[in-house]
Amino acid sequence: MSTTDVLNLVVSAILLAGVYAAMSVGMTIIYGVMKIVNLAHAGFLMLGAYFVYELYTQLHIDPLLGVLLAFPVFYFVGIALHWLMIRRIPRSDQPTLTSLLLLFGLWLVIQNLGYLVWGSADRAILTPKTFSTIQIGPIIFPTVRLVVFGAAVVSLVALEFVLHRTWFGRAVRALMQNSDAGRIVGVNVDRTARVAFGVGIAFAGVAGGLLSMMYSFTPDFGGSFLLRAFVIIVLGGLESFSGVAIGALILALVETFSILVIPSGYQPAISFSLLVLALVLLPNGVAGLWNRRQRLT
Amino acid sequence: MTSTAQPQKPLLSHLATGAPPLLLLIVVALLPAVGLGHNTIRLLFVTLIWVATSVAWNLLGGFAGQVSFGFAVFYGLGAYITAMSFNAGANRLAAILLGSCVASLAALLVGLPTFRLRGPYFAIATIGVSEAVRVVMTNLAVTGGASGYRIMEKGAFNQLLHFYAALSLAAVAVGISMLVRYSKFGLALIAIREDQEAASDLGVNPYRSKLQAHALGAALTAAAGGVYVGYAAFIYPQGVFGFDISVAILLMPIIGGVGTVWGPVIGAVVYGLVHEELIASFPEFHLLLYGSLLILIILFEPAGVMGMLQKLSRFVRRRSSLGSHS
Repeated sequence: MSTTDVLNLVVSAILLAGVYAAMSVGMTIIYGVMKIVNLAHAGFLMLGAYFVYELYTQLHIDPLLGVLLAFPVFYFVGIALHWLMIRRIPRSDQPTLTSLLLLFGLWLVIQNLGYLVWGSADRAILTPKTFSTIQIGPIIFPTVRLVVFGAAVVSLVALEFVLHRTWFGRAVRALMQNSDAGRIVGVNVDRTARVAFGVGIAFAGVAGGLLSMMYSFTPDFGGSFLLRAFVIIVLGGLESFSGVAIGALILALVETFSILVIPSGYQPAISFSLLVLALVLLPNGVAGLWNRRQRLT
Repeated sequence: MTSTAQPQKPLLSHLATGAPPLLLLIVVALLPAVGLGHNTIRLLFVTLIWVATSVAWNLLGGFAGQVSFGFAVFYGLGAYITAMSFNAGANRLAAILLGSCVASLAALLVGLPTFRLRGPYFAIATIGVSEAVRVVMTNLAVTGGASGYRIMEKGAFNQLLHFYAALSLAAVAVGISMLVRYSKFGLALIAIREDQEAASDLGVNPYRSKLQAHALGAALTAAAGGVYVGYAAFIYPQGVFGFDISVAILLMPIIGGVGTVWGPVIGAVVYGLVHEELIASFPEFHLLLYGSLLILIILFEPAGVMGMLQKLSRFVRRRSSLGSHS
């Protein structure tokens, strides 16, 4: 394999990592604030994909604009779900049987509603840009992936800004670090949890829309990405936003380069093997490793 | 008189708790003698298989509070290993036991890295395990991959043999569940569910107890898969390792009432009797219905049918005591 090929693979891995990070960050924020594993995340990824698809085919709205529209729509869906269900389950500092089963049930419902509405046929969003490429030196960028990467990075930077510059962001970070202490200093836990859940779902919708530009999809779309999101947030240490970025990069690199050695039939088992490795070797994630070193010095 | 009555009491209360289940066992065992049709016995067979898996899930999920989304892995492993060793010439019972042993080992393998950590790692890993195992099984050449695997039956097909195998398995599962519920081990599991820190302060080893409960549940589930494959004679990855098997196995105890001995049995009976009807009339909606059911139970009646029965009996008692006053 020549260096150009390696370079091409690295670039495509980095482009993939951007979407993966956007896909996982919604789970991190919900887990961080509420200690709930959003198993329904896969369902919202799928809904996001179909949302952008429907806007494009019915109303001829550009997919990128569709992704932008997905954010507020899914935000309010998240708020409504929080009001309907999530606020009724007992609060806990670790995931409970109740929350896991509730969100699992929600996933089943969303996925099978998807089958009911859209059937099981593969859909894809094909725009004039889909197959075009941009060449810089020896490296070839598929235009769509570049656009998707850009959108993912913009959304992540916006989230980072919100988390560090607004009252809501400070409340979120306080609750992630220590929810009791957060409550004592006057963070409104219920309100923060509601908004965080909304933002988490909004990111799922946006990420689903972005993924729909790159892959074809069915109502089962989110399933394999759910596992990837798990791997990423476990690699990232569950509650760290910079960890998510590192985790996404690791997974994208492993997936991209494993194509060279592992038969494609076994591809879905890769993310799982990585999950087990992460659990055994880095139970606190890559960020945990970093934190420990920082504490030692 | 009082001195002789005192030691008799525990024996009597043991009889009182032991008698209704035994009676139930005898009634179910005599059912084929009434002259039920072939199809009804098949339905009973399937329901008994579900009872075993539902009770098995409850050992870990109900008593210890550890949600697993991947019990289909053990069910499928049990089915495949039983079928393969049976074809290799093993005794039927030995084949099923071998399946159970392998499933227990697999359960330990999943539990070792995940139970050590606090947090949602175990539940997450079980989703991954079931996904990965299904992928591997559909690609594995030895077992025929996605096209499935067939048992070579030597003798004539005897439906009642399979029925009684399933009944014995269900009885063993319920027996184990009762023993666990009232033993020190079961109390340790419940303590872990309620408050792991407090439990480990009191000398319970949460890591070991969870591993044991997981292995026990896996062994029972695998045995259920093994008994099932004897009847079905043909299995394929999407069927026995399927996502909907995992959903069914966790849904049944939830319907009946998690963390109780009889809740999972009730749930399995309800599920076993309703599932075929649902599949026949709504082939595409059944998972949608199960998902909605899961949400409704969790939000409104987390204790399942057992919780409803308890409320009902309390209500009736209150009514009758009011009636005697007036």
